[in-house]
Parts: sequence; C-alpha cells; structure tokens
Amino acid sequence: MSDSVPLTTDRPGQVASATPPAPGRSRRLSDRGLAVAFISPALLLLLAMSVFPLLWALYLSFTDYSATRGGPANFVWFGNYTAILTSAQVHTRALTTLIYVVGAVGLQTVLGFGIAYLISRRTHGRGVLTTLFLVPMMLSPVVVGLFWRFMLDAQFGVVNSMLGSLGLGQVEWLTRQRTALLSLIVVDTWQWTPFIMLIALAGLTAVPKYLYEAASIDRASEWFKFRTITLPLVWPLLLIAVMFRAIEAFRLFDLVYILTNGGPGVSTETLSFHIYKVAFLGFNTGTASAYGILMVLVVIVLTQLYLRYLNKLKEG
Amino acid sequence: MRHPKRTRMSDPRRKVQLATAALLLVATTMTACGGDKDDDAKASAPKAPATIPELTKDPLTLSFIWFDWPPAKALEAFANAEYKKERPNATIKVNTVPNANWHDAMFTQFAARKTDFDIAILDSQHIGEAVTNGNILDLTDFVKKNIDVTAYNPYLLAAYGQYPQAETGKRDENASLYGLPLLGDTWTMIYRKDLIGDKPPQTWDQMISAAEKCQAENPGVSGLAFHQANGSDAAAVTYNTVNGVYGGNLWDPKARKIDGVLNDTAGQEAMDVLVNKMKPLTAKGSGNWFIDEVNAAVAQGKACIAFNWIAASGGLLDPKESTLGTTREQILDKLGFATLPTQKTNLVPLGGMGMHVSAYSAGANQAEALNFMEWFERADVQKKWAAAGGVPSRTDALQSPEFLNAGPFNQVYTDSVPRMRDMWNVPEYARLVNIENTNVNAALNGAKKPKDALDDIAKEQQGVLDSGNRKGGGGL
Repeated sequence: MSDSVPLTTDRPGQVASATPPAPGRSRRLSDRGLAVAFISPALLLLLAMSVFPLLWALYLSFTDYSATRGGPANFVWFGNYTAILTSAQVHTRALTTLIYVVGAVGLQTVLGFGIAYLISRRTHGRGVLTTLFLVPMMLSPVVVGLFWRFMLDAQFGVVNSMLGSLGLGQVEWLTRQRTALLSLIVVDTWQWTPFIMLIALAGLTAVPKYLYEAASIDRASEWFKFRTITLPLVWPLLLIAVMFRAIEAFRLFDLVYILTNGGPGVSTETLSFHIYKVAFLGFNTGTASAYGILMVLVVIVLTQLYLRYLNKLKEG
Repeated sequence: MRHPKRTRMSDPRRKVQLATAALLLVATTMTACGGDKDDDAKASAPKAPATIPELTKDPLTLSFIWFDWPPAKALEAFANAEYKKERPNATIKVNTVPNANWHDAMFTQFAARKTDFDIAILDSQHIGEAVTNGNILDLTDFVKKNIDVTAYNPYLLAAYGQYPQAETGKRDENASLYGLPLLGDTWTMIYRKDLIGDKPPQTWDQMISAAEKCQAENPGVSGLAFHQANGSDAAAVTYNTVNGVYGGNLWDPKARKIDGVLNDTAGQEAMDVLVNKMKPLTAKGSGNWFIDEVNAAVAQGKACIAFNWIAASGGLLDPKESTLGTTREQILDKLGFATLPTQKTNLVPLGGMGMHVSAYSAGANQAEALNFMEWFERADVQKKWAAAGGVPSRTDALQSPEFLNAGPFNQVYTDSVPRMRDMWNVPEYARLVNIENTNVNAALNGAKKPKDALDDIAKEQQGVLDSGNRKGGGGL
C-alpha cells in the first residue's frame, strides 16, 4: 500500500484518497468527510470556548460596556487602550509584575537546574528523589497559598517561630512592602522549581555519555565539561522551560489573592490582579477586556521574539 | 505513503468553505454583539407587589446568599426551625461564600441576569449598585402595606433599604425602599477587665492611654487589635470610625465632593491618630488582620483592647476557643464589652445587612421571599431571632429582655443605634472602598505616609465620582 499510485479525479487540484473505503461504509462519506466529522466537535468546542470569547473580548475592549450596568455598549474605539497605556496605576503594576517574573523565574531556573544536575549525577534513588521534588507542583496554588499564609504569619507562623528559636527577630513577611513581594517569589519558587528541574533533568539525561568520556580522556575538568558540554546541550531545553514559566508568572493571580491580597497597599498587585479589580469591583468590562487583550499581545510579542532567539540558537 | 502536493486555494469549493466559515464567525459575533433586549432597556429596579401574591403549596427552597460567618449558620437554623412552622413546604438555604468573594459572588450573578439565590443579603453600601442596575426589587409599596415602619429607628430602616442614601441618623419617607433589615451590627470595644480595670475608657484619648499602659505592663500582650487588612472593607471601616470620632466627614453627598472634605483638618488628625498613635500599640505583623485575626488575638489573651463587629463576637465566649477561661463565666470575668469611646463626636460605624429580593428569581420564589420578609419583621419573630443569637432592628426587640440577655454585647448594640453613621451607598461603592482600603492599609504598614495616603484617597475617590462622562478607561 505504501507505494500505491494516487488516484486522480477529473477535477484538477483534487486528489482522491488512495485508501478504498472500508466495507460497509457509506460511499458518500469520503476520507475527508470522515476527518471533518471527527474534528468538528473539538473544533466547535474550541471556537465556542476560546475563539469566540476572545473575539467577544476584543469587541468589548473598544466599548464602555459594563456587565452589571447593562445598556448598550458604546464605542470608545481606542479610548480604553490609551487610558491603560498611559495610566500610572498600570505602570506600577507592570513594574511589580516584571520584578516578580524576573525574580521568581530566575530563582527557579538556577535552583531547578542545580537540583536536576545533582539528581542526574546520582545513580541510586533518582526516581524517588525526582518524585519527592515534584510534589509541590502537583498541589493547587490556592492550597499552597493558604498554608504558606499560615507559615509566614508574623505572630503564629512556623517560619518566625524557627527564626525565633535561632535567636532572630520576627519578620513581617506579608505586611511589609519588600518582604511581601519577596514572600510571593519564594512561595512561587517553592512550587514551580520542580517544573524547571523536570525539564532540565530530561535535557541532562539526553546528553550523550560519549561526550563526557571523550572529555575525560582529554583530562578535562568538571567545570570545563559542564561549561562546554552540559550547559550548551541543555540550554535550549532550559530556555523553553523558562519561557513557559515566564508566561505563567506573568499572569500570576492566585498566590497574590491568597497571600497578600495585593498589599500592603497595592505593592504586590500584579497586572492580572489589577485586571480582576477593574473587571469585578466596578464591573468595567470594556476596560478589563482591553487590559486583558493588551496582556495577551505582550505575551505573544515577547514569545515570538524569544522563539526567534531560540531558533537562531538551534541553527547556530 | 506519499501524499501528492495540493494546490489549496485553487479549489473553488475550498474557497466557498472558507468564506462560509468566516461568515458564520462574523454572524455569530455580530449576533452576540447585538446584545439582548434587556441590555437596551434602561436599568431600574422592578417593583414588588404591595400585596404578597398567592404562595405555592409545592415544596420550595428559598435561597439566600451571604458570606461565611456564624450569623449565616444561625439564620439558616433559625429560619428552618421557625418559618417551617408557618410554611412547612418551604426550606431555607443560606448559601455562603468567603467574605472576600461576597460582592463578586452576588454581582456576577446579577450581571448574568440569573441568580441561584432569591434573597441577596447585601451590605448597606451595595444598595446603590444593585438598585441602579435593576438587580433587586423596589419594596416601597410592599413595605407600606405590610411593615410597621414606626417600629424601627428610622435610620436603621433607611440604612438597610433606602436609596438614594439617607442623611446620617434620618430617613427620607419619600424615598424608595429596596430592602429590610436582617442583621444589625456595629463595633464593640472589647477590653480586658483584669488588665485595665472594670470601667471602660470613655474617650478615645483615654482608650489609647489605657492600651499603652497595659502593653507596657504586660509583655507579650499588645495594647490594641483592630481591622487593618486591605480586603473587603476592613481598613476602610477602621479609618472611617476614627474619622467620625474625630469629627471628620467622608464626603459632602449633596455636592458629591470628597477631595477637601475627607482630607480636611479633622480627617488628617484622624489619620495621624490611627497611624501614629494606635498602630504602634498593635501586634507585629497585624497589618493584614480582619475579623478572625482580631478575635483570635482576644481569645488567646494577646490584646488589651480590641475592636470588632458585635455579630462576630459570639465565639469569644466559647471556652473551647479561648485561653481566658474554662467556662463562659470565667471568660466574662476577664472580658468586657462597651460602646466605642467618644472624642469630638460619639459616632460609631453602622454594620449589618439587609434582605433584598433578586429581580431574577422565579415568581413563586419572589412571593415566598416577600412572605418570609413580612414574617421576619414581625415583633414576636424579631424577639425569637434575638434569642437565637441574631441582632434585630425593631426597637421593641432591641429593648426586649430576649435580646439584652442573649449576649453581653447586646446592650452595646442597643446603646449604639442612635450613634451610627454609614459609608456611601452609591453605585461606585466597590471602587471607593477599594481605594480607601488599599491606601489606609498602605499607611498602616509603612508603605505610604499618612498624609499622602489620605490625600491620595480623597483625590482618587473624587476621580471615581467625577468619571461619569469619561470616554474609555473606566475603572482605572
């Protein structure tokens, strides 16, 4: 069957299937029809659940529509976009989000790769260690947020209790400007370092052993092997993991909601948290839609640039 | 298997398919964009009938929505025990959500024009938003026909139902009513009798001095505990209370002016007292405390003086949750409850909530809801509600032994009723309170200077009130 000649119809450009219909199947249902029939439910679901809401949000983003106030949606064209891009409130939240993304993803990358590197060098108990490290990633962020909130409580929390037993003073983890953002970064790192670790571990396992053997014959140092073999081979995979994590971190909401509620003041309010407030406190649906669309655009543009860099790296 | 290369766009059938798909997508979007008829209609609250319509004889569940706290459980138990005697086919279900999600849970359903509750228990400040959006029924005619309005302190009736908002302490009899009182509430001062003496401080200055002295004399116990969190209305109510006590005003409702009113000399003094005199007497890390955390500090014996809502204070007398004694009597030997101290005025914050009928509830359920409200506001039922742990609103119930003997803080409520002041109940409330909450919280936690925080509140809140004609960017 593999070398069968394609059947052509009398219509140019249309190619009939090489596979004859199965016995008992309607002659009317071609392979293409069957393919469409199978794909349609998923495609319709995707259209209804993703494409349509996105288009709907895009439409609303040009209006002053409010979900609770009702009434017609009046076009304000780019009014919402201009207001968002020039708003000092949004700039503050963007800076907070940027610090958070860089801090959390940077820390997770270093730790995740470090742990993966150490695990990859072990011959015994690798599976158990990997599974144990993966546990935080499998928990719901809301659950993680809640128990870290208790642990970081200045009065009754276990973290301050431990610091106290070491003779150190109490730290207001969640209610001071600097420590609150740091706490968010630490909690996110605790939960998502395993993700980077997992991908880095896959990359490390795929590095051919003979490269290390050749380097050993040349009496290369461990640092030399790491710098010239391990890192360059794992780097592209690690960058993909960083991209996924950065996108996730960029839209952080749950941990902020549970741990700090954006406080003290608004110092830990991220862009997503701010959108939530715009969308639900005043039900400014039009503005919130524009805000959301802008966030999607930022992610798409940055991801495209990043992917180009990755492709260049791959070609190089 | 080799696949021959296809020349896609040259196939006219494919072009037709693509065009049809695109057309369908555009048509769907345009249909959706057109909105429903409700959207085009000018929103306003529909009227409830003056007379309760005929009630169904079929089994019916009357659903409420509230936030998760002890009074919600008390209401469900009380209503199922008592209302069922009158309406055996009715079951009462009080659905609860976390306090932080309370507003969102109600108003997202209102936005969908479909609710899974029949009676929304709204904070008094939510009324404006619900009324202007047409989410709740106008009860004016129903109240005239079925409720004895003279049985209430006029301001209580106004606070939980009237829109536009009443002047503090009064009720406008010509204004419409959209709700009836369910649970009255205000702040009580909780003080440690064993640490600061049996007599509660009478003025705000005395209270701060007593807390300072108590903290100094009792290591490990903080002088004060109060709401500081930036969620819900926690920090905002705290500032508003001190603002009221120091003679400040939240706004000028007639001129819709906040900037220059809230941050006047009295407002600045109140912020200074709160941040520079009261905050240093609180426990480290208490900057995100709300109802539960304040109660925990009192129950664990970690605070000399605390402020909390009366309706949430019942748990303090539970020996299982307290380290202050093994019996209720032992706890009461140490804890005292008093009305708030006065300073330049004697104002106290109005808390509590009213009952409001969802405009999207089924006809039979709306009828049942009206019947429930008429039943609930009867004199005998209000006394039973008081005995069951609720805070009634009728004056006769507030002065009844059933209420006054039900809890050590109930006398505090009765005494506080003539002193109450509420926040704004305008449609922009959610945004106004968020601005105040976040800024007061920032000032309390050192993220902003007190004066800057107050000026920012005034400026931003004024911006919200003035943003009616803004084109685009509403909500920022």
